[in-house]
Amino acid sequence: MGELLHTLIQRPNFVVFVILFLWGIYIMAAHPNLVKKLIGLYIVQTSAIFFLVAFSAKDGATVPVILEGMAAVDPVGYANPLPHVLTVTAIVVQVATLGVSLALVSAIYRKFGSLDEDEILEQLK
Amino acid sequence: MIHPHDSVLVRTLGHIVIPIAQLFGIYVLVFGQYGPGGGFVGGVIIASSLIMAILVFGIDSADSVTARKILHADGLGLLIFAGVGGLCLIGGGQFLNYSFLNIPGLDEASQHYIGILLTQVGVAMDVAVTGVSIAVSLSFEEDEIAEDGGNNG
Amino acid sequence: MSSHLPILLFLVPFFMGVSMPIVTAKRRHLCPGITLGTVAVMFVIALMNLRVVLTEGPIEYAFGGWTAPIGIAWLNDSIAAIVAATVSFVALLSIIYGRVVVTSDLEKSSHYYTLILVMTSGLVGLIFAADLFNVFVFLEVAALAGYALVGAAGGKALVFAFRYLLLGSLGGTLYLLGVGHLYVATGTLNMTDLAERLPALMTSTAVVGGLIYIFLGLSIKMALIPLHSWLPDAYANAPSAVAPFLASTVTKVALVAWVRIEYSLIAPTVEVGHVPVLVLLEELGIIAALIGGALALIQTDLKRMFAYGGISHIGLILIGVSLGNDTGFTGGMFYLVNDAIMQAALFMIAGAIFHHHKASTLDEIRGLGHSTSPLLTGALIVVAIAMVGLPPTGGFFGKWNIILGALEAKHHFAVFAVIASTLLTFGYFLKVFSSWFNQPQSVAGETIAVSGGLRLSLGVISFSIIALGFLSDFVVRFLLQSVRGGGA
Repeated sequence: MGELLHTLIQRPNFVVFVILFLWGIYIMAAHPNLVKKLIGLYIVQTSAIFFLVAFSAKDGATVPVILEGMAAVDPVGYANPLPHVLTVTAIVVQVATLGVSLALVSAIYRKFGSLDEDEILEQLK
Repeated sequence: MIHPHDSVLVRTLGHIVIPIAQLFGIYVLVFGQYGPGGGFVGGVIIASSLIMAILVFGIDSADSVTARKILHADGLGLLIFAGVGGLCLIGGGQFLNYSFLNIPGLDEASQHYIGILLTQVGVAMDVAVTGVSIAVSLSFEEDEIAEDGGNNG
Repeated sequence: MSSHLPILLFLVPFFMGVSMPIVTAKRRHLCPGITLGTVAVMFVIALMNLRVVLTEGPIEYAFGGWTAPIGIAWLNDSIAAIVAATVSFVALLSIIYGRVVVTSDLEKSSHYYTLILVMTSGLVGLIFAADLFNVFVFLEVAALAGYALVGAAGGKALVFAFRYLLLGSLGGTLYLLGVGHLYVATGTLNMTDLAERLPALMTSTAVVGGLIYIFLGLSIKMALIPLHSWLPDAYANAPSAVAPFLASTVTKVALVAWVRIEYSLIAPTVEVGHVPVLVLLEELGIIAALIGGALALIQTDLKRMFAYGGISHIGLILIGVSLGNDTGFTGGMFYLVNDAIMQAALFMIAGAIFHHHKASTLDEIRGLGHSTSPLLTGALIVVAIAMVGLPPTGGFFGKWNIILGALEAKHHFAVFAVIASTLLTFGYFLKVFSSWFNQPQSVAGETIAVSGGLRLSLGVISFSIIALGFLSDFVVRFLLQSVRGGGA
């Protein structure tokens, strides 16, 4: 138990990721309001992106671009660009998902007049 | 129907802030070659400036005409991106292999530079259009899309 | 030129789909024709690609000239070629069919056709991708187009499309987490590179966690029980014009992505904490096959029944590919190709029944066999024979190879599951036919006339179901070429 606690304290970023992920799933499941479910989905996706950022951050690293007249390149001083690319693409996917979902939610509101899931399911019967 | 903002202060500041935001967006777009930035972020900043224009000046105003017109360019950015890749295909290499981008008068490094810059411009345009269209489609308009009453179409 | 065929297969629908709103701004009536032409061209390119892979073997296509593992690669092997040909074939027939049953307001919007073409291109990218992150991007592209298409019917479909969106995006996020874990452990995203580095690391929690996340994410996308709840509602309420295409391709292509990822990474002997991983996957497939079949038996709505049938078949395919031997694997993949065509046919028939007779439940189709077109009845009979798995249709050979593979691996419970799911399929088709051929109170004399598009699509798809049975030997041997020659 002490070792587990020790591990958790040494890695606060990943603890935050786990908390955000689970909280987002709880919001998606527990709240009947459609927009709140969307916010829960957004938090889940943000937690995944946060995980990607957490392991790609590097202390004292600089941009991986070689300019003219630079001498030998030591990979230690440069940030790994691949996880950053994963992060940017994931953010774009998140925005696109948000766009489609907001369009669906506004269409549901126009059709059913309510954003509460229980009321909508009542109307569907 | 988004109406112009009531306060003169907000409208005046909008005239000042929105062009600065757009300039910053283009700067971030081009700076992506040498540092953090690039197409996605540049597009988002331009999108936020256009959405600000809609929110401050109203959707029917002359000051937000760019935001309205840009909605017609749905997918143009994607065509630019895929078009650059297709040009590389036509030039003889694989898709998006900038060494084969046969623009006359360019050496290899410049070919890569121009190719990447064009793709980022395409991405920025597309992200800007997406952002503005999300904001516009959320404004509640009664006489819009014809609702389809039936379910099992 | 021949090596560029996969990217052409992706670019053609993508370009046409994206430029369609701009090009047809003033001439809306051209949209259906352009879509049909695009998908026909796609089908021809897919067949050319099939021939290229037949003669030359697997081809790796490196984007931007950067070869793997530094760059992103697409792998054009026999599995990809066959599944791409199947997807373009089903897309072509669905669009021909769609023109008959599409509602007028959908037909007038160019964005509807854009969505169909973008979804097709996303699926093509998913089929060829040999890089974990490429799979994620195309998975989300196809999924987003799918959410919008399911909701395009308006009304009830909007709510179920929203539910599909929530669950599907959750699946995509889980997949992304898995990719992140695997990247942290190995430093690479390319599948062949991972296959070299991963077996040594199977004791690491990060790697096991990553694989579990990837499997969970893809299970939501392929509707593996118990993560299937979005599928029956979404496909039963999707517009009849796109339901065949959606139902037959989305889950199957997600399964193809999983097969690519796990085939090279998880050998039959791999164990995680004394649990052999492939056996675990097979058990999950067994559960899916049995429960899916049982749930299909109690349905009264036709489309929901067919959707649950599709879910149980996903379980069968998972059994086949997780057996760990070549026979089972090729049996599973062949059954995947068959199932795509059969599901498309089933949803086409259900949509045609609704379009002509406004009937969608078992009670409403009572006695229709006597008054409807013989084409619908004939197609229904052919598809039923194929779903149950009788020769000479392809369904028989797929299940036969899966059973042979299970016997070879001595997994007798899998044999029982395949046979039980066959019996359950027979059960629910018995319900359909007993209602279909029920003698009505007043015998209606005239049969309805069906339009040419319906005749063409249903006829060709029924023919292809039977033709696949005759071609089964060729297709299975072609699939084996990918398995023996190094695989995914």
